[in-house]
Amino acid sequence: MRKTWFNRFLPWIIPIIILVVWQVVAALEIVTPSLFPSPLSVLVSGWQLTVSGELFTHVGASLSRAVIGMLIGGLIGFALGIMNGLSDTSYRLSDTTIQMIRNIPHLALLPLVIVWLGIDESAKIFLVVLGVLFPIYVNTFHGIRNVDPGLVEMGRMYKLKGWKLFKAVLLPGALPSIFVGVRYALGVMWLTLIVAETIPTEQGIGYLATNAREFMQTDIIILSIIIYALLGKLADLIAQFGENRALKWNASYNKEL
Amino acid sequence: MEQAVKIDMIDGSKSFGEKNVLKKINLTIEKGQFVAIIGKSGSGKSTLLRLVADLENLTSGELLFNNTPLKESKVNITMMYQDSRLLPWKKIIDNVGLGLDGQWKDKAAGVLDSVGLLGYKDEWPSTLSGGQKQRVALARALIHEPSLLMLDEPLSALDAFTRLEMQNLIEEIWQNNGFTALLVTHDVREAIRLADRIVLIEEGQIAMDIVIDAPRPRHFSENNLALLEEQVLERIMYGEVQERMKKIK
Ligand SMILES: Nc1ncnc2c1ncn2[C@@H]1O[C@H](COP(=O)(O)OP(=O)(O)OP(=O)(O)O)[C@@H](O)[C@H]1O
Ligand SMILES: [Mg+2]
Repeated sequence: MRKTWFNRFLPWIIPIIILVVWQVVAALEIVTPSLFPSPLSVLVSGWQLTVSGELFTHVGASLSRAVIGMLIGGLIGFALGIMNGLSDTSYRLSDTTIQMIRNIPHLALLPLVIVWLGIDESAKIFLVVLGVLFPIYVNTFHGIRNVDPGLVEMGRMYKLKGWKLFKAVLLPGALPSIFVGVRYALGVMWLTLIVAETIPTEQGIGYLATNAREFMQTDIIILSIIIYALLGKLADLIAQFGENRALKWNASYNKEL
Repeated sequence: MEQAVKIDMIDGSKSFGEKNVLKKINLTIEKGQFVAIIGKSGSGKSTLLRLVADLENLTSGELLFNNTPLKESKVNITMMYQDSRLLPWKKIIDNVGLGLDGQWKDKAAGVLDSVGLLGYKDEWPSTLSGGQKQRVALARALIHEPSLLMLDEPLSALDAFTRLEMQNLIEEIWQNNGFTALLVTHDVREAIRLADRIVLIEEGQIAMDIVIDAPRPRHFSENNLALLEEQVLERIMYGEVQERMKKIK
């Protein structure tokens, strides 16, 4: 009993120490507070932004870009992965092209995207789409290809064909790998968004940080970074929750982490 | 229950590329017969089974079910493999009902009961032992009321006790249902215990074909079965058919 309590507390020890040291060093004011704010002042400005409602506007804007981009890119990647996983013809036709595009660092396209799509929402969402598409494509494809052929043969023997075979054998077999892709894509999604939100804009966490930089509000810059981190963690937790639900048959997923 | 099926393979050959795995096999299996196929590893036993199960196509020759070509006959064939091949993401009962439409739950529960695993119907496969998984695989094969049951070394990964238990279960179910059964095994004793007939495959050809008509249930202390086992083993290991071995009682 005590052991589990201790184990739960263990991961928090280092972050707490960091916070305390940070607070103490900031309170000593070795560096001016405007360059090195204390955690408390970050908290205070966070609270002020929450009360004024600004925080929600910005977080909401970033979240909607993330979700829309993730949905579009995820669906395209998933569809391509399924198609190429199931059909050799489709694979031969498109995989080389997809791999070529995948090898371009999508963030390097930023200037081109701005020229082509302007600086509005579509440019940012496009970058997110491009970023999340490939991890999901690759993992869906490999998931489908690596389904145990013995199970597929068994399914055929029991008269499963087409959609039924896909639903009963191929998709569930590929699901663990697809979830790996989703979780990886979530990381790419936030990273892309951070960069994409440096494109001039009027809303979003990126705007919050860029704007704060102009006024030397270091506390708000730090707050933005922390919000990105929290959202990233939250997204991962949601994905993990979905994964645990969908893969509860898999003994290795039943273990509490 | 559909009627059991009679199988005729006429000059059946199978090659994979350059490799001739089966060479002009002629084999007739009567309705309801229990045939064991033995032979060294790589001799083509599984290939023979997969041909009959319509999982592979003959390179040349003919395969008839009840005198109709395999592709035109609508015979219900099911198969058990060395590994259970249960879908890990389906509960036991849903594994048993795989590929069935309509109201199958009661029937599935009935079949699970007949292999002694009704209590496990809502468990995940990963929680079962190897022997239990094979029982589920057997239930899944039986629910389709097959005319032909194929068994490709289904017991070779099990411990000796579980294997004996499963042999009894398979024999009992075969006796009650009367389907034709084709069992590939490395265990000569298992072949003698279960089969009406033992076919030895060597380098893609039938090297020995003997009938065992000892009464069931069989005990190795009776009917010279222990002697037969020794002779079959010797034949596999050292070759040379001794004519007197044919039709040993
Ligand atoms: N799909 C395939 N492609 C190419 N070669 C194959 C294929 N299936 C079987 N073979 C070859 O055919 C030969 C016979 O294989 P088979 O699986 O029938 O042997 P087996 O008698 O069942 O052996 P074991 O006792 O080890 O299961 C082997 O040499 C194998 O390599
Ligand atoms: Mg084999």
